[in-house]
Amino acid sequence: MSLQDKLDAERNLRLVNETVRAAYEETVATLSRNGLMPGVLVEEAPFPDFILPNTEGRLVSLSALLARGPVIVQFFRGEWCPYCRLMLDALVTLLPEIEALGASLVALTPDTGLPARDAKINHGAAFEVLSDIDCGVGLAAGVVFRLPPLYKARLQTVGLDVPGRHGNDAWFLPIPATFLLDREGRVAWRFADVDFTRRAAPERIVAALRQLAAPD
Amino acid sequence: MELTQVRYFVALSRSLNFTRAAEACNVTQPALTRAIQRLEDELGGPLLFRERSTTQLTELGRTMLPHLDAMLMAADSAAALADARRRQPIASLKIGLAPGIGCGAIAFAVREVAAILPDLMIRLDEAAAAMLIESMLTDMLDCALLPEDCDLPDRFNHWPLYDDRAVAVLPVSHALAERTSLTAGDLHGETLLHGERCGGFAALFDTMCQGQARLRRCDGAIGHLLDLVHAGLGVALLSERIVLPATLIGLPITEPALTRRVRLVAIAGRPQGAAVSGFVKLCRARCGVDGR
Repeated sequence: MSLQDKLDAERNLRLVNETVRAAYEETVATLSRNGLMPGVLVEEAPFPDFILPNTEGRLVSLSALLARGPVIVQFFRGEWCPYCRLMLDALVTLLPEIEALGASLVALTPDTGLPARDAKINHGAAFEVLSDIDCGVGLAAGVVFRLPPLYKARLQTVGLDVPGRHGNDAWFLPIPATFLLDREGRVAWRFADVDFTRRAAPERIVAALRQLAAPD
Repeated sequence: MELTQVRYFVALSRSLNFTRAAEACNVTQPALTRAIQRLEDELGGPLLFRERSTTQLTELGRTMLPHLDAMLMAADSAAALADARRRQPIASLKIGLAPGIGCGAIAFAVREVAAILPDLMIRLDEAAAAMLIESMLTDMLDCALLPEDCDLPDRFNHWPLYDDRAVAVLPVSHALAERTSLTAGDLHGETLLHGERCGGFAALFDTMCQGQARLRRCDGAIGHLLDLVHAGLGVALLSERIVLPATLIGLPITEPALTRRVRLVAIAGRPQGAAVSGFVKLCRARCGVDGR
């Protein structure tokens, strides 16, 4: 079963609930019409260099990673999101292949503290999980949006403490975009979708990485 | 949202003048206006309105400004830290510590920043919370670790770092030193040494268990207080994070629970250098991981 098949099954299961469906449809519709996508970094664009803290209290430098090879920058909403959990598992499975191709992977979430650490520990992730504090790098990559009212209300209803997790009450989230950066830090390939139940297919990430390693 | 849109909006909210904001951002006024309009489309309403010759923030604009400003600063500081790693400028980090709060919980963050900025100058100031707040307002300190029970002016951001628990500090020769934990009853008749640097645990204990123990005022440095405990003058209730000499032992108090939440405090919206923003981000990324 492919990652997208799992994501679709999860979505179909959850959208039976009318409140969940309304919040989901509002988010996708809002992001489709409000001009988010044109602002997302495209192929050839230089990805902004950054240093962010990881879940172990260390600073991780993008340029230090790029010195070793291509880097995959994966934005995710948080371990609270069932689609992100499926994606994290898929990335854990994919990591050996990514590393075999000389690349590294970092996953950026606006979550801080225990929730960010749980994303790494609960999935046994050997890649770096970085706290994108106040969504700064997400903003520079053009992937941040403000939660529409229904979706915010739904998260509040289920008791998700987004302000506590983010350390701010802005209610911003990234779309779960994937960027493959070449060694110069330029976007070689990207996946971005306003529908948070759609994620980069692992085989497409690897294909893009192979293409980068040995262009036709 | 795009970085430039947010940057233009923050500049405009400061000057409330399209011409000046466009100049400050080095763009044409129509380009600035278009970017703001696109941001308004995305955020779902006008951020500014024009009244006669003046420009004002709408309620949505006022609500969004601190969040957009914080996000912009986070974007700039993530890049500034990366730039500082290459250039290695001289930088400083001035951290305030409220009485009885050690720097053990944040030492990792100082170390990480110093690894990127080898010429980092570090200053740690221990003082009363009100003085630390004043020092931050006058830019003498970058940030501080304060207990949750002190009032903060509106301009401050704060993040919970950890819950500090008290231990009873005794000489290893004390009759209670064989125990693994203590309750209020065990301290009946003991003298508790308490001073301004003890973190207020003895006062908290006295409020919760009136009459269980005698309080003896004893101000001074923690090291001096520990010398007096060693000499048998009394028991001290101190943060479990304070490192004790081998001649003393710290026993957890299980009943009543003596805890206080320690938070990181910094002024909202103040531009921070790479060292300070890196430090604050490291601490925020570890909020609650260390003992909550």
